[in-house]
Amino acid sequence: MNWLRHPRLRLLARLILGLVFLGAALPKLADPPGFAKAIWAYKLFPAWSLNPLALALPWLELFCGLALCFGVWWRAAALWVGALLLSFCLALTLNLSRHHPVDCGCFGTSAPKTQAQRLADMRWTLLRDLGLLLLVVQVLLPAAPGKKPR
Amino acid sequence: MSAPRPTTLLRLLALAALAGLAALVSNRVAGPTRRLAWRGSVVVAVPTMIVPPAREPVAPELAPLAGRENTEVRLKAVAPQTPAPAKQVAPAPPEATVPIRELGSAEALAGFQAGWPFLDARRSAEFAEGHVRGAFCTSVWEADLEDRLIDFKAARHPGPGDPIVIYCSGGDCHDSHLLAEKLLAQGYFHLLIYRDGYPDWVALGRPTAKGAQP
Repeated sequence: MNWLRHPRLRLLARLILGLVFLGAALPKLADPPGFAKAIWAYKLFPAWSLNPLALALPWLELFCGLALCFGVWWRAAALWVGALLLSFCLALTLNLSRHHPVDCGCFGTSAPKTQAQRLADMRWTLLRDLGLLLLVVQVLLPAAPGKKPR
Repeated sequence: MSAPRPTTLLRLLALAALAGLAALVSNRVAGPTRRLAWRGSVVVAVPTMIVPPAREPVAPELAPLAGRENTEVRLKAVAPQTPAPAKQVAPAPPEATVPIRELGSAEALAGFQAGWPFLDARRSAEFAEGHVRGAFCTSVWEADLEDRLIDFKAARHPGPGDPIVIYCSGGDCHDSHLLAEKLLAQGYFHLLIYRDGYPDWVALGRPTAKGAQP
């Protein structure tokens, strides 16, 4: 199973994670009020925390995405990305378990959808986030013996 | 995976600090439609109960009745002709005790014709694409909401008990509800939420206008 810890695979995983987080950050940076509304729709956060989260989270995603793409501070960035993905999964699971359909808000605001479409999208988003979490695990795994980590 | 090294922990904190700093600077230089207040939010902790609109065909019959008890008796009488879920048929209690009430489509038109002010709670970009003619742009999520409300009050001088119609995109849009809660906290108590919102207004070919609020 050493191939799973091959440095090239790690590089690929880092680039995928970095690009996904850059893509997620940019639309939110362009429209913080829209993102605050998306966070509010999850009905999980106290009112006082909505605006600070909507302002700071996209920048954290952007810096983590850049760090992963350029290989600078990538371990810390991967830890942040892992923590963020875990919290996204938790937020989606809680809302799915109470049948509360929400727009993901992951890549900015989306077109209006029906409640059934939203619930279906939430399941796919959860799966996608779990897949990205596996990439984070791969990035954080020690390199295979004999291979020089990048 | 091994435990993070001290340098990694420091970098974790540094990334968070960088994000906070960048957010501070970018929010400071952002325009009013992109800015957010760091403290406070339009969302209130305990939302007020909002009464759904009376079923429109039933509403005119109910209008002369004052008390809840009487309306319930009357509803029983009309029930055989209008089989519908109890929630839909529930009459609107007297307005003095219900500061926020939802408004049906026909009532919204009647309010428009009567010259009631309309507040548009959607984003200002959506307002610019099209809005109820004469409506005020009061986007509930944007940082200049207070200024917009001051402009509205200066233009229309609404009394605390005067009707104010608030709308957003209909469906499960809650922006108008949030704005109503905010106006309620400012002392207004005749707030009418046009439940089906702008899509309904457009679909029925009612008067609209385009362009941003001057």
